[in-house]
Amino acid sequence: MYAYDKFDHGLVDARVAEFRDQVERRVKGELTEEEFRPLRLMNGLYLQLHAYMLRVAVPYGTMSGTQMRRLAHIARKYDKGYGHFTTRQNIQYNWPKLSETPDILQELADVEMHAIQTSGNCIRNVTSDQFAGATADEIADPRPYAEILRQWSSFHPEFSFLPRKFKFAITGANSDRAAVKWHDIGLILRENGSGEIGFEVLAGGGMGRTPVIAKTIREFLPEKDLLSYVEAMLRVYNEQGRRDNKYKARIKILVDAMGADEFARQTEAEWEKIKDAHIDVPAEEVARIKAFFTPPPLEVLPTKAPAVDELSQKNFIFASWVKNNTGAHKVPGYVNVTISLKPHGGIPGDASADQMDLVAALADEYSQSEIRVSHEQNLILPHVAIKDLPAIWTDLNEAGLGTANAGLITDMIACPGLDYCALANARSIPIAQAITKRFDDMKRIQDIGPLKVKMSGCINSCGHHHAGHIGILGVDKRGEEVYQLLLGGSGAEDASKAQILGAGFDEHGIVDALEKVVAVYLGEREDGEEFLATYRRIGAKVFKEAVYDAA
Amino acid sequence: MTLLSLTGIKTHAWTVLAEDAQPQDGASVLVPLARLREDGDAIFAVAGKVGVLVPTDTVYTDLADLTNKIALAAIEFPAFGDGRGFSLGVRLRKDLGFKGEVRAVGPVIPDQALYLLRAGFDSIDVADKKRVGAFETALARFSDFYQTDFTGARALAHARHGTAGERIAS
Repeated sequence: MYAYDKFDHGLVDARVAEFRDQVERRVKGELTEEEFRPLRLMNGLYLQLHAYMLRVAVPYGTMSGTQMRRLAHIARKYDKGYGHFTTRQNIQYNWPKLSETPDILQELADVEMHAIQTSGNCIRNVTSDQFAGATADEIADPRPYAEILRQWSSFHPEFSFLPRKFKFAITGANSDRAAVKWHDIGLILRENGSGEIGFEVLAGGGMGRTPVIAKTIREFLPEKDLLSYVEAMLRVYNEQGRRDNKYKARIKILVDAMGADEFARQTEAEWEKIKDAHIDVPAEEVARIKAFFTPPPLEVLPTKAPAVDELSQKNFIFASWVKNNTGAHKVPGYVNVTISLKPHGGIPGDASADQMDLVAALADEYSQSEIRVSHEQNLILPHVAIKDLPAIWTDLNEAGLGTANAGLITDMIACPGLDYCALANARSIPIAQAITKRFDDMKRIQDIGPLKVKMSGCINSCGHHHAGHIGILGVDKRGEEVYQLLLGGSGAEDASKAQILGAGFDEHGIVDALEKVVAVYLGEREDGEEFLATYRRIGAKVFKEAVYDAA
Repeated sequence: MTLLSLTGIKTHAWTVLAEDAQPQDGASVLVPLARLREDGDAIFAVAGKVGVLVPTDTVYTDLADLTNKIALAAIEFPAFGDGRGFSLGVRLRKDLGFKGEVRAVGPVIPDQALYLLRAGFDSIDVADKKRVGAFETALARFSDFYQTDFTGARALAHARHGTAGERIAS
């Protein structure tokens, strides 16, 4: 993975000093709260319902065991002993003190981490495929480009006060696990006819109150032109994006208003002017950064491991875990392992300091000291020998991390909701807990199969409900929490917007309704057909009748 | 009001031309863009140096025929978060080749000083004199940058492989 050089160190250290100074000026009254607000947000510091919240960047979801141990240490020393992994592959601390945040940032800087631009109207943490560099289905590892984008977008002189937040996602795989079509700019690695690597460039996707799927504005952009091209896109947006209404300020509204063709035309016209202006990094720098992402030297191993078969026969949960929580690696004899942060009855995405330390130790011992965070709020050990699975799972299971539900109905995305968030209209966490308790039977949820449930506690859709096979949206109706049910969304390469099924439910009714939807699917599915395929084949009507007629 | 020079150029306060007034013979005046569009011929004929007050919602191409006639482009930020001002600075330098002074006017905050310099600005009209020190501190905060900019600095991606030969991770 990427290692800072003295310049990177110098920049994050200077940033910590800057933020320390900003906090001091705020405390002395030299900065107004209105002035301080965007500055603290650009350092990931929010003011929530009960306390400040600090969001720390995990660039493109990749970190080392050492970095994870530092996150655990911060959770213990400055927070209440836990953290929350987010859909932007970041981690949030819910209880830091304002006065201590500069110290936290220094502790992060010491292990090459930061909270730069994890919030605010600027370019946010670039997200990527959690299996990047460790999956059998990719053209190339997207992370070198994500790192190039991270550097270019940090403290950008022109694009740090955009109309609204701005999110990039990049994938190098055929299966889109990074929801690139739901981003302000989505990048998909492509190979052209001559075997050269480049990008399909998409723009104008986003969730929030106006869900839009991004449109392709260029089929193939040579890799050497990445930064100049996105600079052209950002300039068009910075100049013309709406600033009169924050709900209409995202690039999706601009692209929709002017049309994707016109947005592409203006981008191309601007790019023609700047593409040779030394905005792009030189080939030597691309090579320098790519070298950090050289695949680890894994010795090819047998794909069959007797210890795995033995434990699988004895232990159904382990067998399920191997089936659901491991995926094909580039190197024979290895898998990538998804550590579920969705224990049944638990809080989606939360991990305790002890759990973080354990994951760090397992990464050091079994996975080249590498860890990933997925946008689905799980942790990944990317390079695991199949023969080590029994030992890893046994340790995970003892620590409450052995849940075998990756990709299944209880592997839900859920935002923090009204328990923490100042924007929320409804609670998310108790609903997620109720759902995982209702679907606590491992045999049953495995029979239901791959199913993505995503829940948000307000219209801002941090919980990606628009992209859920089943989405749940909490709203406030005259002081009551009401939950709407949406069906048919997808965050993958076949991206689609989930549609509201009908009237909402209370917190108990929504769980019953979800169960009825699942029952319809089980009754209607054809051989091997996953939920989304059945829904697309039979439509909403059957589900609607089952959910509302019986009610 | 205190003027802060970012680039080291000598800078001075300009008198804004009052709404109904005409410039005096040879006097330097700062004129709102809309007024210059109406009375430009008369103003340029009489005034000495002319500066233009540019709202941030200006399309940069509207300034193209002015850049060789004006000495100052003062970009008026209605709020410090209005990032269009930064792109206007870039446009003046990059697309219009403007060589005169670009100034930020309005409620910009100290923490933006370096961003303004790097986006092509020469000076800031600092509304609160007590804040000049904070602006100066912010200006010196960073010495290396990830992007090319309008100060002539090289992006780190280039500097890393430059003549000094400094490269590769620590």
